[in-house]
Amino acid sequence: MKLATDIGGTFTDLVYLDEASGELGTTKSSSTPPNFAQGILDTITKANLDAKAVAHFVHGTTVVINALTEHKGAKTALITTKGFRDVLAIARANRPDIYNLRFKKQPAFVPREYRYEVEERLDYKGEVLTPLNEADVAKIAAELKAEGIEAVAVAFLHSYANPVHEKYCAELLKKHLPDMFVTSSSDITKEWREYERSNTAVLNSYVQPVASSYVQNLENALRDMGVKSGLHIMKSNGGTNTFELSKQQPIHLVESGPVGGVIGAKAIGDLIGEKNIITMDVGGTTAKTSLIEDGVVKFTTNYYIEKDPFNPGYPIKVPVVDIVEIGAGGGSIAHIDDAGALKIGPQSAGAVPGPACYGQGGDKPTVTDANLVLQRINPDYFLGGQMQVDPELSKKAYTPIAESFDVSVEEAALGVVRLADANMVNAIKLVSVRRGYDPRDFALVAFGGGGAMHAASLAKELNIGKVIIPFATGTFSALGMLMTEPMQDFIRTKVLPGDENGLAQVRDILTEMNTEAADFMRAAGYPEAKFSFKPYIDMRYVGQEHTVRVPADELNLAKLESQFHDLHEQAYTFRLESPVQFVNYLVTITVSQDPVDLSRFKPKAGNNAKPKAQRQVYFEGGWQDTAIYERSDLPLGQKIAGPCIIEEPQTITVVHKGMQAWIDEIGNIVIDTGVGHER
Amino acid sequence: MTDPFTLEILKSRLMVIAEEMFITQGRSSKSPIIYEVLDYACAITSSKAELIVQANGVAGFLGALTFAVQDVLDKFGVEGLSPGDIIATNIPYEGGGSHLSDVSMIMPIFYQEKLIAFAVNKAHWTEVGGKDAGSMTNDSTDIYQEGLQFPCIKLFEKGKPVAAIIDLLAVNVRTPDSTLGDMYAQAAACRIGQKRIEELCDVYGLELIHLAISSILDEGEKRARAALKTLPKGTYFAQDEVEDDGMGTGKTPVQVKISITDDSFIADFTGTGKQALGSINCTRVALNAAMRIMFIAITAPQIPANEGIFRPLTVICPDGTIFTAQRPAPTSTYWETRLVASDIVWQALGPVLPERLTAGHYLSVCSEVLRTRNPETGEMALLVEPNAGGWGAGVDKDGEDGMFCMGNGQTYVLSSEVAETRYDVLVNHYGFDVKPGGEGKYRGGRGLIREYQMLSPGSITASFGRSVKGAWAAQGGNAGTPNAIEVKFSDGRKSVSSGKVTRIPLHKGDLVRLITGTGGGWGNPKDRPHTKVLQDLKAGLICPDVAKKVYGLEAKG
Repeated sequence: MKLATDIGGTFTDLVYLDEASGELGTTKSSSTPPNFAQGILDTITKANLDAKAVAHFVHGTTVVINALTEHKGAKTALITTKGFRDVLAIARANRPDIYNLRFKKQPAFVPREYRYEVEERLDYKGEVLTPLNEADVAKIAAELKAEGIEAVAVAFLHSYANPVHEKYCAELLKKHLPDMFVTSSSDITKEWREYERSNTAVLNSYVQPVASSYVQNLENALRDMGVKSGLHIMKSNGGTNTFELSKQQPIHLVESGPVGGVIGAKAIGDLIGEKNIITMDVGGTTAKTSLIEDGVVKFTTNYYIEKDPFNPGYPIKVPVVDIVEIGAGGGSIAHIDDAGALKIGPQSAGAVPGPACYGQGGDKPTVTDANLVLQRINPDYFLGGQMQVDPELSKKAYTPIAESFDVSVEEAALGVVRLADANMVNAIKLVSVRRGYDPRDFALVAFGGGGAMHAASLAKELNIGKVIIPFATGTFSALGMLMTEPMQDFIRTKVLPGDENGLAQVRDILTEMNTEAADFMRAAGYPEAKFSFKPYIDMRYVGQEHTVRVPADELNLAKLESQFHDLHEQAYTFRLESPVQFVNYLVTITVSQDPVDLSRFKPKAGNNAKPKAQRQVYFEGGWQDTAIYERSDLPLGQKIAGPCIIEEPQTITVVHKGMQAWIDEIGNIVIDTGVGHER
Repeated sequence: MTDPFTLEILKSRLMVIAEEMFITQGRSSKSPIIYEVLDYACAITSSKAELIVQANGVAGFLGALTFAVQDVLDKFGVEGLSPGDIIATNIPYEGGGSHLSDVSMIMPIFYQEKLIAFAVNKAHWTEVGGKDAGSMTNDSTDIYQEGLQFPCIKLFEKGKPVAAIIDLLAVNVRTPDSTLGDMYAQAAACRIGQKRIEELCDVYGLELIHLAISSILDEGEKRARAALKTLPKGTYFAQDEVEDDGMGTGKTPVQVKISITDDSFIADFTGTGKQALGSINCTRVALNAAMRIMFIAITAPQIPANEGIFRPLTVICPDGTIFTAQRPAPTSTYWETRLVASDIVWQALGPVLPERLTAGHYLSVCSEVLRTRNPETGEMALLVEPNAGGWGAGVDKDGEDGMFCMGNGQTYVLSSEVAETRYDVLVNHYGFDVKPGGEGKYRGGRGLIREYQMLSPGSITASFGRSVKGAWAAQGGNAGTPNAIEVKFSDGRKSVSSGKVTRIPLHKGDLVRLITGTGGGWGNPKDRPHTKVLQDLKAGLICPDVAKKVYGLEAKG
């Protein structure tokens, strides 16, 4: 039995697969903050599962991101190279809010009084200039104890080139303070730039006590229920970690929740032969999009928390699936700003009071209200009829916008839907066009509560020919987690010339990294036969700073160079005659799992499903008599023409005029938007 | 009639174009001053040179790009422009507007053979030739010593590079590879702007594009006028001085009179002293740009900037002052004076706008050109960087420690690890300067000290303005500390400490200390709560003596 659980602010989702019977099931239960483990146990009980039969458990958690954004972590200290205690507070000294002459910097997670300096120094090659002063470390250890510090990060200059001093310092600290949580920056990342690496180590320390006790409690509770082994937590890179590793490097869990859907989309793409996918996950407060190229999920180490157009944020240099998130979800509020322009979000009505139609006191017009005014959402079938919503309240909420623009309430609601669509299109362009990809070469996989409502029009705008609304849309993130595999990324920086000499060194580095990766996974208890390695090299033109990531399965100089030139041109529109350099080396190790059998979703045969109803739905051009289908009524392959709406308890799919929709062999809704080109 | 929502959507599409140009340019550049300092900006203007949308790395370029576009229109006229043309200018007295290092590139965008907009960007090139490496120096006496001048000329004609000009450029600069690399990155960004605008025209049609542009501008004006109404009306006055031109001119007095009414904002610099001999001269376009920043900073700092916003703003200054220097005045360190122009407006309005303005900050860009070599290849390498410093305290907040000056913005300090890899130096120290200064009920933010130890011979040229007096304080606080460059020689020569150093030869083992000022304090230091003073003491931000003597903290035990 395999289980996956995804904890959201409102609900905890559970997806389970019983390999013996082939049964794949889902269940939901209310989340139980602050003791989230209880919600998980509740779902297992509710689904009436035999905990003893669980062989593989995957969990997506928000414990790390919550501790960070609420600034509720441990009392943390930093130990750094003499002369550099203020690096953490100077940060990069940038002011994104450039015309604000009263700008406030975001404060460092460790205040100056807890930033300690140690005599030691390496040069940029990693050679020791000044040995580590052990007496300094002993003195600091005593102070940490006296100050009641709970966790400490060690970050020395050039430790990416040689971690020797960091390792020794951590060892000494452990000797002096056996119970202290200690993080060495080079254990988390071997990329250069001292501020970013230090901050990453500090944030790992900052969340470590709370995260490790969370993981420990969950482990105890699961063991008490009878789950014996196979405990995993979803990592930000789209793979999983063991519980043990999660306790040591909790910072890898920072985006543990949202990546499940992207992995699910990739898995579905693998099953149906769609290798190029753009995902669109529309939830209550945000829309998230990501791009999968040739079956590979993209990740980045340029990840920040609390970054926005006006704040620099805090960098975390761990691999995170490259997701762009914007404030346009179902609960996002439409409003008219001071100069009369219509805007959506980032304010959201949330779950409480919720959209106006909930009748819980919210009177602000949300995107969900707009879809209700347009009669795209069926008020009698909201959450499968479990929740009562009132379209009159939605209309009332839209009246001010209608009056302001001197249009009807329906036109105002349609305007808001179109503007929300435009914002989502801009987000999709960030992950595609801006990185040199043409959306026409991709299929759009949409999920989350609102994805299916907007997907077809987004695709049309972007000239995407095919839209896929996967099965199990409402619990799709958890389903994605079920399909993930243990995965760890190793990254190192060393600038080398792009010639045969450089390549010879690269070969040595990658071999060493493969060994390191295999040792790592072996130590975590995984069988070597299942290991697979994927190497990349970040390359650039000499003199450039930013790099382009080049697959390095074959270490052939001519091939690497030509791939680099092509990828550079794709990303930046031009290529140069200049010589190239190797900069960073990446190895991703994956432990392959048996594929999840999705045959249960195979739809029934037939070709004569009829609409369950007709109703007036508002589109561009006005009200139209529209066929309404129930998703579970649709047989395999029967083509239905837009405009129509396909309802299911957790969402609705809008199919526009000129489009066709059908159910594929594993139960996905496929929409042919009619605008694509041959791929 | 156009439906209002299509217009909104089109506007949102237009707004992201400059951002995309900006990212394209930054990611493909070969100079740290572009990809680390982000000393560049990208914009789209209307066919009449009105700013529609701009993406900035630094504040200083706000609103400066439109003047370059205007020059192109004045020189070529619409009939003299073709699709695929890219024009360059860097003339400080005209549309270039700053110093020769800042090169603007302008690309007309045509649709169905009609000129509809311009894509434009402006970037600091590390090298444009001239008498000193890095093209910025303190002792140039005319512009001809400061580098190549591009008098609004076509670098690309109908999409093709003009080989003669590019060859000329390549042999007249010291780092042709990075200079040309940056030129191509800038051209690529222009082309992205062109491509996106054409795509919008394909979808929405010309008429709607024009409507969206005028709507964006009107909206900007509406926002600015609404914000203007909330400002305190009246006339405000401030005077100060530009401290040194590096050529012995001495202090140049400067002054401003600000008049705010319900629908206008007038900055009148009449009475300011004459243009100087040295390179600190500022020109009219730079002064106008500086006032645009101050105007947006005190009205509505977070709204997207466009030409409409600046409609209520008027800047008055006679020709030939240090703010409006005339050819052939040298201008390579013009920012020192431009920042003083901004700062006197800040001083004039600070007391009446505490919700927008703090006490004075370290003010200068504090930039050095350190000539060294690449430790691997031995090739000459120029470390050019602005430095972060301390900001002033506000009515309800301490000043910010170590942050870039008002002329910069989304600028990044150089990583010490990157610096040691690229340049033959060792960074001995990088942290707060905690010497006394900037005390107050709210304290000024701390300036920084960065110490480079030379590992091989080189030289340094630098300009750190505000090196005589520290940042100004408010409401009884203490002034901040001055900026300084210190050089300590290993061979027994006498140490140097100054606001300006020019081509000082350095040997292996010499130390260069870059010291930026602490910001001004706000309110009487004796009113600072003792809990905060104790905290500052524990953090090592102040010494026991200051805690006792300046803050009045009783010695305990």
